[in-house]
Amino acid sequence: MERGGGRARAGFLAAGLAAAVLLGGCAQRAEEPATGQIFAMDTIMSMDVYGEGGEEALARAEETIYRLEDLWAVTDENSEIWALNHGGGAWVDLSQETADLLAQALELCALTDGALDLTAYSAVQAWGFTTGEYRVPSQEELDALVPLIDYTRLELDGEGLRARLPENMELDLGAVAKGYTGACLAEQLRQAGVTSAILRLGGNIQAVGNRPDGNPWRVAIQDPDSQQEATLGVVEVSDQAVITSGGYQRYFEEGGETYWHIMDPDTAAPARSGLTSVTVIGADGTVCDALSTALFVMGPEEAAAFWRVHPELGVELILVLEDGTVQITQGLEETFTLSQDRTMEVIAP
Amino acid sequence: MNRRTAVLAGGLALVVLACAGFLLWQRASAQAGVSVRIYQYGELVEEVRLDQVTEPYTIPLSGEDGAENLVEVAPGRVRMQSANCPDQVCVNQGWISDASVPVVCLPHQVVLEITGGESHADAAAG
Repeated sequence: MERGGGRARAGFLAAGLAAAVLLGGCAQRAEEPATGQIFAMDTIMSMDVYGEGGEEALARAEETIYRLEDLWAVTDENSEIWALNHGGGAWVDLSQETADLLAQALELCALTDGALDLTAYSAVQAWGFTTGEYRVPSQEELDALVPLIDYTRLELDGEGLRARLPENMELDLGAVAKGYTGACLAEQLRQAGVTSAILRLGGNIQAVGNRPDGNPWRVAIQDPDSQQEATLGVVEVSDQAVITSGGYQRYFEEGGETYWHIMDPDTAAPARSGLTSVTVIGADGTVCDALSTALFVMGPEEAAAFWRVHPELGVELILVLEDGTVQITQGLEETFTLSQDRTMEVIAP
Repeated sequence: MNRRTAVLAGGLALVVLACAGFLLWQRASAQAGVSVRIYQYGELVEEVRLDQVTEPYTIPLSGEDGAENLVEVAPGRVRMQSANCPDQVCVNQGWISDASVPVVCLPHQVVLEITGGESHADAAAG
């Protein structure tokens, strides 16, 4: 009896443990996120927020997106950016968010030596990308636009929360707004206690923590040479942004030539630098967004050189060259898996 | 083994079997339960189990200002067969069969999103 009772207790214990482990596993598998899908900032945004309080956190995130969109929409007469572009050179009052983003963006323009230039908007307009009425401007028209692309002429009075831009110049936050928004939302979600969420702001991905099963998030990188569902590869990330700039995202064809939306500030024409896409992975979404554009303009050699001299930015890169070669920086060797048969080179520090 | 231990052992075996069965069923249904969710203006208008489609068929969607989209559903996959939007990005994307990249018609705010099934990624950058 004595021994039987012991075995019975052991049996109970084992059954209890087994049930706890298995049911725990079941519960984890079954966890459904709070999901939302909205159209904002000229794209579609979808968010999956896991854990308790997900619905509430999601609702607040959506409010934040709409608020930031209202501040920055370049075509909205009530936005702060519209006011700056139509202020005739006078000082314009800014919200704290706009002042913050402008300050960060200007630093990144300077850091990339003008490869990123917020004031390239007049070139984007001239090529018809803002309206969809695409056209190839004459060389004279482009020559006249080049002097109007110069971020150093945007004056920011950060303390007074105001800025001014010379008449005839226009700026747009398109190259940084979604990255900054992702960073803001990630911070907001973390403060609300969320430890697992994935934000898809158009093709800009922001991860919060890990997947609910504790593994890193898996982010597919689109193949720039195919509009079909082909994936170039998959990168694993935790608490990071993954942002791609590619010529395939918006373009038109005329006379056998392809013209895309990423402008070279030096020529006011689409940047042809030998790259078809640049993906930047890092902790700061604003930096990733800005660099994806700037490095696309720079081209493969200059992009690799920039990465080597700026380890403090903590970013990793996936470059796709016009000849189809893929280059990744060394930090991605363990986390990036190529899903196609392509040549892959590693950029060493 | 006395009777009480036998009952306990049996009970334990049942619990283990039930849980294993539940896990297997869940995994199987996750694999089979591939659905497409069709959204218009952010609202879910239709959900179709792609694994239960045997013959391809189309679903027309009419929107504001004469917007027309024609969704084609086929076994295991879905595409935007046609749309009278200006850029045709949604039509040119072709078929999708997993959750990594949704089909988006931005001008008409129509989205085809696949849920369930095995997906190689949680999100797609680009």
